[in-house]
Amino acid sequence: MELFIQQLLNGLTVGSVYSLVALGLTLVYGILHIPNFAHGALYMMGGYVTLTAMTKLGLPYGLAIIVSMAAVGLLGVLMERLVFYPLRDAPPLHDKIAAIGILLFLEAFAQFVWGADYQTMPTPYGDVVNIFGFTLTIQRILIIASAVVIMVLLYIFLKKTFIGASIIAMAQNREGANLVGINTNKVAMLTFLLSGSLAALAASLASPINLVFPGMGHLVILKAFVIIILGGMGSIPGAIVGGYILGFSESLGATYVSNDYKDIIAFVILVIILTVKPNGLFAKEGR
Amino acid sequence: MKKRKWSIAAMIAAVMMFMLAACNSSPSNNNASGGNNSGGSGGEAGTVNIGYSGPLSGPAAYYGQRTLNGLKMAAEEINNSGGFEVKGKKYKINIVSLDDKYLPNETAANAKRLVQEHHTPIIFTPHSGGVMALQVFNQTDNFIIAAYTSEPKITQTGNKLTVRIPPRYDGYIPTFTDYAMKRFGKKLAALPTATQYGKDWTEKLLPYWEKQGGKVVYKSSIDFTKDTDFFTIVTNALKEKPDVLFIGGASEPTAKVAKQARELGFKGGFIIMDQAKLDEMKRVTGSYDMLEGSIGVMPLIESDEPAVPDFVKNYRAKFNEDPGSEAAYNYLALYAFVEAMKAAGTVDDPQAIREHMNDGLKNIPEEKKVYNVPSIGEDGGFESEIVVAAVENGEIVPIELKQ
Repeated sequence: MELFIQQLLNGLTVGSVYSLVALGLTLVYGILHIPNFAHGALYMMGGYVTLTAMTKLGLPYGLAIIVSMAAVGLLGVLMERLVFYPLRDAPPLHDKIAAIGILLFLEAFAQFVWGADYQTMPTPYGDVVNIFGFTLTIQRILIIASAVVIMVLLYIFLKKTFIGASIIAMAQNREGANLVGINTNKVAMLTFLLSGSLAALAASLASPINLVFPGMGHLVILKAFVIIILGGMGSIPGAIVGGYILGFSESLGATYVSNDYKDIIAFVILVIILTVKPNGLFAKEGR
Repeated sequence: MKKRKWSIAAMIAAVMMFMLAACNSSPSNNNASGGNNSGGSGGEAGTVNIGYSGPLSGPAAYYGQRTLNGLKMAAEEINNSGGFEVKGKKYKINIVSLDDKYLPNETAANAKRLVQEHHTPIIFTPHSGGVMALQVFNQTDNFIIAAYTSEPKITQTGNKLTVRIPPRYDGYIPTFTDYAMKRFGKKLAALPTATQYGKDWTEKLLPYWEKQGGKVVYKSSIDFTKDTDFFTIVTNALKEKPDVLFIGGASEPTAKVAKQARELGFKGGFIIMDQAKLDEMKRVTGSYDMLEGSIGVMPLIESDEPAVPDFVKNYRAKFNEDPGSEAAYNYLALYAFVEAMKAAGTVDDPQAIREHMNDGLKNIPEEKKVYNVPSIGEDGGFESEIVVAAVENGEIVPIELKQ
């Protein structure tokens, strides 16, 4: 039982990171209707910007995360303006190729600027805490707590504010949104800003328990794709639930089945869910 | 409408160019203008092109970069001192480096290119997969593979033009086992990296551990390219209450595994695969305290070879970081090859160079001997003295080798 709860906590930690990454990915999918392959690169840039802000500018961890969220959010906007906006009338394939191009560019860029080696992100919250005999570090509690807070805030933003509603409107029907007077340009930029910030936040939270290196985006991006397919492409609750499903299936699968098969377990779950609900758990009806 | 199509096409072309440019940016220091290492009589200084194919981009780029740094440093030192003389003719060294992204098929393609375009008599490659790919054709294409890998298999195939630079990893196993078992106990959990190399290591270590009366309580592997967090797997390993953890892979993620094991309350020792280096792991954990009871390869900067302090100083000045054995062994190997060329009296006959490797190793200037490698075996492996170290009371202590 003890082991089970410890593994639930472990699953909750990784699940939170996965969910944050998947949220950004699913938001952009709603706008572009293509998977943004460069999202993993934004995650990686988030890790590096936070690290640089901490080591070079001497900012405290919390402030560095905010700087990083702003910087990577702007990078997302820049991506939209320079690459995806000019391609808005091109066939979808062009968007995909462009996204891969951005991915390669950003990885090479990070290696050029920060070097290829692994770097460690220090955290002021590295202490170990034991709660009822379960081991967590404060950093892990922070990951779980901030993920939940951000998800709630995002949900309120999308459901209760006008700008949030316009993002959803545009995801549902771009031309329709345009017809009722929504500035689709602004909304697209805003979506990329949110998506980049979420990626940066996820990377900044997860980096202290792993490392910062140019290929770090690969750790999460494939899983984020699995999550948004599982949860329904473009669905916000789908990304959140999907993230935790994947986190738990990895930690519990590794414990009770076999560590070597934990990826297979995650994909078997994906197959089962897609068999029952071919469009994913929270797919929107009528689209 | 037509115009728009063109502008989009141009855009995509531009993006593609960007991609290509990005891909090619890393291995661009090969400004060799073809091979002129004909070694004929007359003429002024000649150039010997030495090939290198290793990971210079992607997840293992830091590793490829460090191995290449060792070569570059040796080449620069040799060139700055006026080159070297073979049969009355002066030669300089030019390192031609190509990126293979850690992929054996790319290593093979690179090697073909190096041999055909640059006539390299020697090609360095720092991974066992690449070495095996090259062994398919290196004897017919006539070049020496300078293999920086401790995989014993590569020198067991009878390839006559393979030189293995670091010691075989199975040399470490008795000492590691003995030390960890005596100090901590008989229960071992194995959590190495999920690469082929990690698997081979595990397959050598575990049977030996059991033969010595030990017990393997948990066995799995960690894929550092896929796992964000190691808490799950470490929790599972620790529930079997092991006395010793076998970990390994690149230094930094390995250090994270050790750190997370300590966070989860592990009090035992670590057996650390030779790929990870204690000093590099310390940079991640902050101090040696967390690595108490680890046994692994002696970190270069702690080594007491007389040539080491100078090497460390020069390397720090040039690359702004502490050198590891990757750089040092490749540095040493290039000196050995140059001396072997001198002894063989040729710069373009790989067979003759290989035959004179023993002289080459002997003639390395004392002040360049960062490791003591007295000879090369029949099989092509450097017969280095293995130096093992453990962390005791927060300090690196050399450990006597068990025969």
